[in-house]
Order: sequence, then C-alpha cells, then structure tokens
Amino acid sequence: MNLLELTLGIMTAVGGFVDISELVFAAQAGSKFHYALMWVFAFATVGIMVFGEMSGRVAAIAKQPVFNLMRHRLGLKLGLVTLLASLISNLITCAAEIGGLAIILHLLTGAGYMLMALASVAVLIATIWVLPFKWIERAYGLLGLFMVVFAVALVKIHPPWADIAAGLVPQIPSGLSTKEMVSFAYFTVAIISAVMFPYEAYFYSSGAIEEKWGPKDLVINRLTCVVGFGLGSLLAISILASSAQLFGPANIDPELPGSAALQAAVPLGRLGLLLALLGMLFAVAGAAVETCMANAYSAAQFFGWEWGRQRKPWEAPRFTIAWIGIMLLGLAIILTGIDPMKLVEYAVLFSILVLPLTYLPLLLLARDPDFMREHRNGLLANVLGWTYFVVILVAAIAAVPLFILTSGGQT
Amino acid sequence: MKPSDSIKLFGGLLDLPILDKDGRYCGIVDDIELDEKAKGPPTIAYLLVGPGAYRGRLPAWAMRLVAVFAGTRITRVTWDAIAHIDSCVKLTGTADSYELHRCENRARSYIPKWGAM
Repeated sequence: MNLLELTLGIMTAVGGFVDISELVFAAQAGSKFHYALMWVFAFATVGIMVFGEMSGRVAAIAKQPVFNLMRHRLGLKLGLVTLLASLISNLITCAAEIGGLAIILHLLTGAGYMLMALASVAVLIATIWVLPFKWIERAYGLLGLFMVVFAVALVKIHPPWADIAAGLVPQIPSGLSTKEMVSFAYFTVAIISAVMFPYEAYFYSSGAIEEKWGPKDLVINRLTCVVGFGLGSLLAISILASSAQLFGPANIDPELPGSAALQAAVPLGRLGLLLALLGMLFAVAGAAVETCMANAYSAAQFFGWEWGRQRKPWEAPRFTIAWIGIMLLGLAIILTGIDPMKLVEYAVLFSILVLPLTYLPLLLLARDPDFMREHRNGLLANVLGWTYFVVILVAAIAAVPLFILTSGGQT
Repeated sequence: MKPSDSIKLFGGLLDLPILDKDGRYCGIVDDIELDEKAKGPPTIAYLLVGPGAYRGRLPAWAMRLVAVFAGTRITRVTWDAIAHIDSCVKLTGTADSYELHRCENRARSYIPKWGAM
C-alpha cells in the first residue's frame, strides 16, 4: 500500500476540515459554550467519514465521480437545481476562504487586506496552473500540518481532560436561557454544516478519479477517510477546547481567525503564533483550492466536459476556464468590501441547504448493486448513511429559522 | 450492456456521460431521438448532445435562460456509434469524428499552452 495515497485524505481533512468556517465556529463554540459542543464535531466527523468513504468507493468502482452519476440519478431538472445550489454554496465558501487568506496574510506581513486578497488569488491560480493534481494535494496537505501546533498548545495549557472527555458525550447544557438555547441549536447546525461541507465529497471523489482509483484502492479509501478526517477533527476539537479554556472565562468572542492563532501564542510564544498562522494559511489556502476546483469539477462533470488537473490546462480547456473564473469571482466578491466573516456565515447556511441534495444521490448510488456490484453498501454503511441523511435533513430545515433568530449566531 | 441489449430506455441512457474511444469526455446523453419510420417497436436513432436537447425536458422559462447562456446547439450521435454502455456511454470513434469537441476546441484556442507540469 502506498502511504503517499493517504495525503489525499490528509489534505481533504486539513484543508476541508480546518478551513475558515471551522476556525471561526470552533473558536466561537468553545468560547460561548465551553466543551458542550465538542460532541457535535465528533458526531459530524463520523458523518463526513461515512459519506467521504462512499464517494471514494463510488468513484473507484463505478469509475465516475459523484456529479456525473448524480445527474443520471436525479435527472436534468433536479440535477440542475443541485448544481446551481452547490455552485453558489461553493462560490461563497471559496470567497470566504480567499478573505480568510487575506486576513492571515495581513496579520503575517502587515500589508493591506485587499492587496493580500489579490496576491493570494494570483498565487493560488499559479499553483493550480503549474502543479499537477498530486503535487497540489501534497503541497497544501503537508504544509497544512503546521496546524498540529493547536493540538500541542492544548496539551501545554493543561486543560481539564475529564471535562473534555465529558464534552464528547451528546448533551444540551443545563441552565441556558431560551436565547442561549436557540444560539446553541444554531451552532450545532453550523458545525454539522462546516464539517460536512458538500465540496469535500465532490473534491474527494474527483480526486479519486484523477488518481485512477480502482477496487484495489478501497482499503486506502477507508483508511484515508478515517485517519485523514479524524486528524482534521482532532485539530478542530483542539481549537474548540483551547478556546473554552482561554477565551471562555475571559468573555472573549473570537470572531476573527486571528484570535484563534492567539491560542497557540499563549503557551508557545512567538513561535507558536507563527506556526499557527502558517498552519492556518496553508489549511485555508488548501480549502480555497478545493472549493474552487470542486465547482469546476461539478460543472464539468454535469455537462460532460473534459476535466481534471492530471491533464494540462489546455487539454481540459472549459474546465480550466471554469476554475479560473470561479477563483476570480471569489476575489471579486471579496473586493466589494464584504466582511469575510459574514461570508463564512452565509457559506455555512447555504451548504447545509445543499447537503441533503448532495448526499441523497450518493447514498442511493453507493447501495445500488447495478453500479457497485459486490462493493455496494453493507448494513453498517446503510444504517449510518440513512441516519446522517435524516440528521442533515432536519438541520437543513432548521437552518434558516435559526439563522434569522440568532442573526447568524451573533445573539 | 451492449447497444443490442434491450434496455430501460430513458432510465438507462439519459444523462449518462459519453466517452470517446480514447476515454475523453465528450458530453452527456441530453436526449434521445427515435426512428419513427422504422417498422415494429420504436428504435433509437440518435443520442442528442448539447443544450438545445434540453428542450422538452425543462420548463420554457428555464430553456430561455439556457439558450441565453449556453445556446441551442445539438449534436446527433448515431446509435451504431455506441460501443458499450455501463456507467457511461463509450463510443467507437473519437470525439472529433462526431463533432462533439467543437466547444472544447474553441475554448482551447483561448488557453495559453505553457507553464504547466
């Protein structure tokens, strides 16, 4: 088994898991509700493991990525609705990641925010243009591992491990006012959305096709999902726990990504701060690449264009124009001056609305004996898949009312 | 599945990706045209590929939007050009021989051909 194959999962985990939404919601969740939302991260992580494994398996066996098969399964009308919804959701997420990158670069260099947004997009486009898929994946995936500093920082502040363990048990904290209860519900939905972002499944399954996975890669697929997503989840949980320990008692609301970096600075000093900012930089950059490419993959697969970054950009020209266009659109959104933290809230809201449309066809395909033959879902995958589908359906129904009632988690 | 096998026509074919003999993507089965002159049960004459083939599958207002953004081009691929059908439709010839890569070729002319590894 080639261990390098695991980097696909590590990138998806680090870049997808600890993206700008993860940073913001993990830090805010810890500050507002201490360890009480930790179980939601663990619960949603199992969800993305289940659907990530299915998307990789479908790609390896049916030899077609999720969006190709989704259109075949849903038909043109519902397929188009799903495509448009996911394009909008991923575009907002991509813009939020570009905004997050600009903030982090501004913190690192002191240069202007807009200038850093422009520079970020230039570097991201150059990276995707120049590097083949495997190198893009490895570069951002491995450099994003600087985020491990958050786990080290958590250990250094000697947190109450018993409280952290208790936080992994599903719970609703007692003594909350109605307003706080609504806010808790909003954060629960937002964390599920942020952890199970639909672009992760699109990117992951398309990556499996890019790397020409087949039945022999099913073990790697499973390991990648469990180890890669598990690592990403541990980092997010570390950010939440540090925030609960450092920000909660001081009544600090860590609304900006820079606040999360301070968690590493408190126990580890300037080096910790630098490593945290670098980790955030590469993880958010990886997520920006993933969201941008996920949109290009989706459009190309839906309309049957040539696609893939294993090919030279001119060998898949419409796909190339799509990813460059999406990156530039994301930049244009940021250049309007919109607050990137607002974009994070909208991204999470849109994503949860798209999630059922994304994961239902995937679930149906993964259990379809015509496509999957002996590799179709077993009992465990079916039970977990349907359970999580019901959860995300309920979360999608609740998302808009909760967003309005809490003004996007602000109250 | 082979083209000569009996199939669940619409469920089996519609919206499947099409690959040419070199494994290059060259569209989706957007609609099917039947041979109405044939005696006996209807047979498939062509696969229709391109946004123009959405007509009849989308509401009129949506089709007008498609026409504005993507045009109304349709390419017809003869039924005997199909080599194999499973999770995709595999053709016996190249995309260019069925004129399925006109848009890709036009888009290619805008892309600089340097700098990529």
